Amino acid sequence: MKKLYSNKMVIASLILPGLLVFVFAILAPICLSVYYGFTDYSGMGTAEYIGLENYKNLIHDSTFWKSLWHSLLLAVGFICIQHPLALIVAAVLDKLQGKAEGVFRCIYFIPNVISVAVIAYLWKFIYNPDFGLLNNIFKAFGYTGKINWFDSRIAIWSVLIVLIWHGFGWGMLIYYTGIKNIDPVLYEAASIDGANHTQTFLKITLPQMKSVIQVNVTMAIISALKQMETVYLLTNGGPGDSTQFTANYLYQQAFKAFKYGYGNAISVVFIIICIAATVLLNIVFAERSEKRKAVRR
Amino acid sequence: MKKKVLATVLSVAMGVTAITGYGTVVSAAEEDVTLKVFSNLPDRKNGQGLVEQMIIDEYMEANPNVTIEVEALDEEAYKTKFKAYAMDGMPDVVSVWGQPAFLDEVLDAGVLTELNEADYADYKFVEGSLDGFKKDGKLYGLPRNTDVAVFYYNQKIFDDNGWKVPATYDELLTLAEDIKGKDIIPLAMDGGDGWPMAIYLTDLVNKIGGNTKEIVSDAVKNGDFTAPEFKEAADLLKKSADAGLFQDGYDSQDYGTAMNLFTNGQAAMFYMGSWESSMALNEDIPEEVRNNIRVFTMPVVADGKGQANDIAAWNGGGYAVASDSEVKEEAVKFLNYMYQPDKLSKYGWENGVGMSAQDQSEYMTGEETELQKQIVQIVKDATSLSGTPINDCGPSAFKTSIESEIQSMSNGTGTVDEFLDTIGKACK
Repeated sequence: MKKLYSNKMVIASLILPGLLVFVFAILAPICLSVYYGFTDYSGMGTAEYIGLENYKNLIHDSTFWKSLWHSLLLAVGFICIQHPLALIVAAVLDKLQGKAEGVFRCIYFIPNVISVAVIAYLWKFIYNPDFGLLNNIFKAFGYTGKINWFDSRIAIWSVLIVLIWHGFGWGMLIYYTGIKNIDPVLYEAASIDGANHTQTFLKITLPQMKSVIQVNVTMAIISALKQMETVYLLTNGGPGDSTQFTANYLYQQAFKAFKYGYGNAISVVFIIICIAATVLLNIVFAERSEKRKAVRR
Repeated sequence: MKKKVLATVLSVAMGVTAITGYGTVVSAAEEDVTLKVFSNLPDRKNGQGLVEQMIIDEYMEANPNVTIEVEALDEEAYKTKFKAYAMDGMPDVVSVWGQPAFLDEVLDAGVLTELNEADYADYKFVEGSLDGFKKDGKLYGLPRNTDVAVFYYNQKIFDDNGWKVPATYDELLTLAEDIKGKDIIPLAMDGGDGWPMAIYLTDLVNKIGGNTKEIVSDAVKNGDFTAPEFKEAADLLKKSADAGLFQDGYDSQDYGTAMNLFTNGQAAMFYMGSWESSMALNEDIPEEVRNNIRVFTMPVVADGKGQANDIAAWNGGGYAVASDSEVKEEAVKFLNYMYQPDKLSKYGWENGVGMSAQDQSEYMTGEETELQKQIVQIVKDATSLSGTPINDCGPSAFKTSIESEIQSMSNGTGTVDEFLDTIGKACK
């Protein structure tokens, strides 16, 4: 068996399918994007080389920067609100045991099972100022005014709530699986030593979950940057550009404004930002784990 | 020997050619043809979509060897996929819009086939309705509708409360105050999509300036919207939004939501194109509302040059044939079949789908809905038509810009001057 795996032909044949998929489904489209980013291609007809014109325009495009800022806000929302909550809920679920554990796990995961289109329309109705659930709840408590949840001053927060709520189940499930993998002996030892729930969570669960948290945080940031379909269906970036996100803006420019070249320039910058974010996170986490190792030594 | 071999090869080749050639001739007579129709009418059971489907079914019945496959998406999704198709594999017959925002790039890319205008001499197209589908004197598509921007209103709500159809814009704003006082939404507006508000702006410019076509084409050409008509119209739109003419959150609500507010009786008026006149025949709408829907056009603006009968109307959507269609002949034949005066035009009329781009007068039976009669009268009485709405007069980048910026301007996030400046830049 060992001999088989050291055969270069075998290695090559095992790597090849993945490599082909990577080259043709990821690398080649990226290269094409870079090429089109230097052109004024409208998506039809011929493309003319215009150098860095698209990138120059991008620097002065306030909507692009605003959409990037919104993606960043979402990433912060994921990290500071969604994930701490998901981790705590996962820890509580783990302690529940029995039937309740399964029931609550299902309930929390339901939003992830429902299609994005349904989620978007569900929240559109919840937020509707005239017949929406939220305003009706306020009405039941005696508030007679109509709150416009998609008013351009607060619309971004209404959208963030939906996105944070929608992605909650995934985060929780990964944390939950991580917690289940922690050796129960550690908890037993802690309880013999008289540790309470908070101490157990802070001293055992959290440190043991560090690698899971790393993965989850990286995924959260990437998914915040890539956010598109919920926003597209919920507000399509409006009113104005008050809920615009980078991926949605890219789509609008490339496919609605017939500025395919410009859309590709946005996508190139977008890819660079995504790669930079991933590399940065890896460096941050790598430094921390090395420090931990050094302390242990 | 060589000669013998050569002769044998040649005779075999001749035989094969004859057999296959014969085969082609035989199969050509009964050859099955599949036509792909790409439509922007996803509702195949009501309104315009139903009419389109009726004609398709009839055509297949009359031509058993033809199968028509329909792919229908709503407008936004349609336009996106149209572009993807334009890169490769455009379906044979497609929905198109005879407006620069859509057609310019499409014709530049050469994806539509040229039609012979002389073929349509007897098709009773309304004067000037083919213009939007032409480039350099060549015809590339045919218009389906004559669209008119109207205020649908619920006559019962109006009568019950003693409200009158407003004759001036100031009266409209006063009426809105009265309606709000009764806890009813004055006007349901699909502000989430941007384009209905752009039509509203066109309507206002038309009432203020009197001749929209010239003002708009100059502004788009020069990327300069500083003409006083635009500023006044935009100011008026913002003033109306501030005064609560539209429902709360109008700038984030879509077509369906706005229409539902009106058809459920929660809103007294609904601003939309005449294509929604089939509401009067739609049994999904409560009878009390359905039978009481009436229309009026944009009231005159104080000191405006436009008169009551200068209306916002244009020939928008239609059909064209793809230039790389493998069954182009059949596709053009089908297109021409659709436009025979007793098809799209007649069926459209019978199903209450607003005005066609062809003369429909001979199909009037006198049993039309009140709504249909009113719209016909509006067009008959019109002293001028605005032509293509502003948002569709420039390149796609301009369209995208104005449809987004008009939301920011009307809700006060941006100023009127910023709005006019931004849309001007988007033209360049």
